[in-house]
Formats: sequence, structure tokens, C-alpha cells
Amino acid sequence: MAKWGMVIDLDKCTGCQACTTACSMENNTLPGESWQDVLFYHEGEYPSAQMKWLPRPCMQCEKPSCVYVCPTRATYKDEEAGGIVFVDWNKCIGCKYCMIACPYGVRFYADEQPLVEPDIRDVYPGENGQLWSPPYQNPEQDWRRGIGIQPKGVVSKCTFCHHKVSKAPEGVADLDEDDPDLVEYVPACVRTCPPKARFFGDLDNPESNVNRLIGDKKGVRLLDHTGNRPQVYYLGAGAGIPAFSPRKS
Amino acid sequence: MSDNNVMKGGLGTGLLILSVIVLLGSFGFVMYNLTVHGHATFNVSSNLPWGQPISTYLYFALASSGLGLIASLPLVFGFKQYYGLAKRAIFLAFIILVSGMAVLALELGHTFRMLWAIPFNMQIQSAMFWMGVFYAADLLFLLWKFQKMESGDWDSKATRTIGIASFLGVLLASGNLALIFGMMSMRPFWFDGLLPIYFYLTAVTSGLAALVFFTYLAYGFQRGAMPEKLQQALAGGLPKLFAAVLGLTILFVGVRAITGLYSNNPEIHYVWTEYLFASPVYVASVVLGLLVPFALMISASLRVNPGIQILVSILTFGGLFAERYFFVVGGQVVPLFKGTWAWDMIQYTPSITEWALTVMGSALLFTLYVLGEKFFNLSAAPEQPMMDAAADQPRQATA
Ligand code: SF4
Ligand code: SF4
Repeated sequence: MAKWGMVIDLDKCTGCQACTTACSMENNTLPGESWQDVLFYHEGEYPSAQMKWLPRPCMQCEKPSCVYVCPTRATYKDEEAGGIVFVDWNKCIGCKYCMIACPYGVRFYADEQPLVEPDIRDVYPGENGQLWSPPYQNPEQDWRRGIGIQPKGVVSKCTFCHHKVSKAPEGVADLDEDDPDLVEYVPACVRTCPPKARFFGDLDNPESNVNRLIGDKKGVRLLDHTGNRPQVYYLGAGAGIPAFSPRKS
Repeated sequence: MSDNNVMKGGLGTGLLILSVIVLLGSFGFVMYNLTVHGHATFNVSSNLPWGQPISTYLYFALASSGLGLIASLPLVFGFKQYYGLAKRAIFLAFIILVSGMAVLALELGHTFRMLWAIPFNMQIQSAMFWMGVFYAADLLFLLWKFQKMESGDWDSKATRTIGIASFLGVLLASGNLALIFGMMSMRPFWFDGLLPIYFYLTAVTSGLAALVFFTYLAYGFQRGAMPEKLQQALAGGLPKLFAAVLGLTILFVGVRAITGLYSNNPEIHYVWTEYLFASPVYVASVVLGLLVPFALMISASLRVNPGIQILVSILTFGGLFAERYFFVVGGQVVPLFKGTWAWDMIQYTPSITEWALTVMGSALLFTLYVLGEKFFNLSAAPEQPMMDAAADQPRQATA
């Protein structure tokens, strides 16, 4: 089985948020429930301040702290599915311990106060156990893997678009949106990225383009000191997030 | 046995009625809001997922553990002077834990699912799995021990074995509860292998506050009305113990604060400078809830004064409630992996519903307390302590 990995080239990323939008369309997420998001931040101060950004999906960690803390095994890492970390919405009890334990802050408890008004959950009230039911939905639903629109009281997160990548032909090294035979299996954020800053492929395959990129362009994993060992790599100068500091306005 | 227990009379009935009204009111309010608005009725968010309901649960669970530890002084370690307190301590430990669990149950996304999903999936890597195991065992042992005392069996071999098992259960439960936070290396404000020690200490402190307060309450705040053994305990060793654990708690808070202030790590440093010490409520809770009680309790003449004891127990109650709250929230106020994108620390104040949950837990505690005082003799103690009679006769072998 493949070990799916994502490579994001920060030298190419323009911070356009097309990935974020594609993800929320694909996965019917709520405003603020950004499984994929782009962080915008500043590095340093005048006169050498820089404006920077960094797209951030779930890292699908090799050693996922979210999995270790989950008391019900609702959160689990599926090596058979390329090492994707899923949430089983039939088992999650909504204790939110995984959200405490994820160093990357990429898990969401959507049963919270709305980010924007009107609350879209009131506009499209939930049916059939869903938290909300918009008229246009991705027909792919798999609650055992946290795919689709979640029920109340559970945690949701990026699934590396498992409903797409799982249909790719066996043994394929990379899922490249420029290949007409593979384009349908490419994760929404990768497929949509206008400057082609995102790549998706098999980290276990020595021939894969993602491995070549990591090797040639010095790919790094973020917050490496946590030991979580992401399956998402970043290319380009200065990949990283400066430490939090409260702003004195 | 003297029975000046005012809870058995009209005063108790009055308090019972009041508690039940508050309990039903707050429960109804919480349930209504949860049904209509879901968890949006809480002020927690995906960025700060654990708020006051969790800190309330933590407070109750640890007060229960503290009471369990206090009860083990006479029951496991043979400090006979505390015999008069043991039964009430066990009873309080049980009902405080039940009240805490009730609060936690309404905080979860799927309460009933927990009942099968945790045992059937056996995720032994999760500290929260062990929290379930240890607190369930703790609850069971407390009940069993209480039942033994109720049947007058204080000193048989079986009772003592249950006592030891219960003592270990309490240590495991509260120590593991500490590690739920203490093992989170991605949250440096919590990450601390010695956190279980801190939890044991503060557990005993809050347990003592509860014990002193509820013992006085049972006798209309009149020490003279209490049975002899209780009076002895409250005038003798107990206040000294109270002073000692208060002092150690302050020491622990102090070293945590110094480490945090000294450290450059923003995820610890700013929690202390920009959140804790920037909050008048936190500063007041340390001063009024820990320092003042400690100052009062180190005075040999003041610490035996009933009025001072009641005051100190109430102050410590509040102080430690705040301490738990700021501990839980403090570990989350610095946004994870947002860097300088985050404008400020995450702002959180509990919503009315979250407060109502805290009120509900307290009202449940008072309700069960009055019922306990009414239906049991919580001041009971063995006629003559027989810890030395080693090869003792098995008295009643119930259960
Ligand atoms: S990034 Fe967070 S949610 Fe994703 S696998 Fe790692 S620890 Fe889990
Ligand atoms: S919230 Fe759900 S997925 Fe997360 S730790 Fe709890 S049970 Fe597991």
C-alpha cells in the first residue's frame, strides 16, 4: 500500500486560498471549520518585517498524538489507506482530547458558536443526523472515516480526500492533476492550486515525484520537535511559523 | 451518640428543598440550551476546546480524591484521631465524584456512547481510557467502604483490604487525571511529570476545605454541638494538616510561576505574564484563596477557632476552584501553530450555560449531602478503635 504524502512549495504558493475554498466545497465544511487553511503571519519587525503565509492541512502524522489520546479509537491511523488519520463519527464521544493533543491545531468541533452570521446551520437545518444539510452536498459519505457532513457532537478533520485518492489505480507513484487519467483522484486542494504549489504522491515509492521534490528541494516537516513526523512536507525558503507573541496595539 | 445534626431537622429539609429547586432549574436550563443551541451555548471553541465545565469536573474529581486520601489516614495508616471524620469523608468523596461526573456527562458530545465506546475499544494508550477505569474503580471502592462502615464493620480484614484498595484507587485516579494534562508535551504550560504530586496536594487541600465546611454545616456551624471525636479532630491534628497542605500548595504554585516567568518559551511565559498575572481574578484567587487562608492557619490560636476554620474552608474552596479553572484554560490560551497570525491570546469567559453547569454540579452535591446526613449517621466511628488487635475476629462479613 502507498503511504500518501503531500508536498507544498512555499516559493510557489501565492496565498490565494483556492485550496481552502476547494476543500470546503469538496467536504461541505462550515465557515471556520477549515480543514485546509492558509495562515498569514509576519516574521520580524520593521525595518526587516516580512509578510508570509503557509497553507496547512492535517499533517497525517506518522506518530499522531491525536490517535494516542483518543479514548475510544474513534481517531485512528489507517495504514491500509496510505496512513491517513481518520475520525470514526460513529465512535467519537466529543471529549475533544484529540484537539488538545494535536500540535498543529487542525481538528474541529463544528458544534460551536458560528464564525459568521447568519448561522448557516440555521439556514439549512440538519436532516438525517447531519449537523446541517445544505442543498448541494458531496454524495460521498463515510462516517466511519469522517467523510461527508458530520453529525452533532463529533470532531472533524482533513481526510486527504480519501474518497478520491482511494479510487486511484493500485501502485501509482503520484497523483498529478495534469494527468487526465488521474485527475479525478487528486485531493481537491492539490487539484485546484493555480500555481501548482501542491503535490501528492507515495512517500514509500522511491520513484515518486514527491520524494524527488523532498530530496532535491530540501523538504522539511514543521514542528519537528514534537516528534509527530508529518506526512506533509514543505519546500521553499523559510518554511516555519514564528512563535506566538501578543501584539501591543 | 449525640445527635445535634441540624441536617436531620427542618433546617436540613429547607436546604434540601432549596438545593433540589436549584438543581432542577439549572439542569433544565442547561438541557434546554443544549437541545436548542447545541454546544454553541458554550463559549468554548475549536481553538479552546476545554472550558469551565472541564475545570469544574476536575475540581470535583480532585476534591473527591482529596477526601479519599484524608479518609485513608485513619483507615489505612491508623491515625486514630481522625476516625470521627472518616465516614463523612468517604460519603462526601462519593457524592462529589458523582456530581463531577454529572457535569462532565453534559459537556461531552455523546455521553451515552462513551459507556460502550470506551470499554469496547480498549485504547490503553489513552490516559482518558484509564481515567474511566480508575475513577470507576474509585467510585466502587468508596461505595463498598461506605457500606462496610454503615454495617458497623470498621476493622475486619476485608474492610482494611478494601481501604487499601480504595487508597490505591484514589492515587491512581487522581495521578492519572494529572497526567491527562501533564503528558501533553505540545502544551508546555501543562507538560510536567510532577503534576500528579501537585494534584495530590491540591486534592487534599480542597478535600479538607470540603470536609471542614460540610462538617460544620451539619452541626449548624457550632463546634460544641458535635460529637466528641469530631471536636477533637477539628481542634487537634486537622487544622495543622490543613495549614501544611496549604503551604505546600502555595510552594507548588510558586515554583510553577517562577519557572514560567523565567522561561523564554512563549507558550509558558506569556501564559503567566499576559494571562494569569494580568487577571485580577487570578491574583485575587491566589491571595484570598491560598495566601490568606495559609496565614490564618499557621497561627496556633487562630487555626482552632471555629469561625476561622469555616472562613478558611470557604476561601480555599473558591481559591482552588479558580486555580483549576486557570490551570485548564491557561494551557490553551496561546493558540497552537498560529504563530503571529493570531492577534492575541484566545479569549474565553464561561457562558451562562457553562456557569449553570457548575451551579448544577454544586446543587447536586448539596442535595446528596443533605440526603446523606438525613439517612445516615455520618459522624459514626468505631466504639473503641482497634487497629492494634491484629488477629481480629471477622465481625460482620457482609458483601
Ligand atoms: S496534524 Fe494533528 S490531527 Fe493531523 S494527524 Fe497530526 S496530530 Fe492528528
Ligand atoms: S473527541 Fe472523538 S476523536 Fe477526539 S479524542 Fe474524543 S472520542 Fe476521540
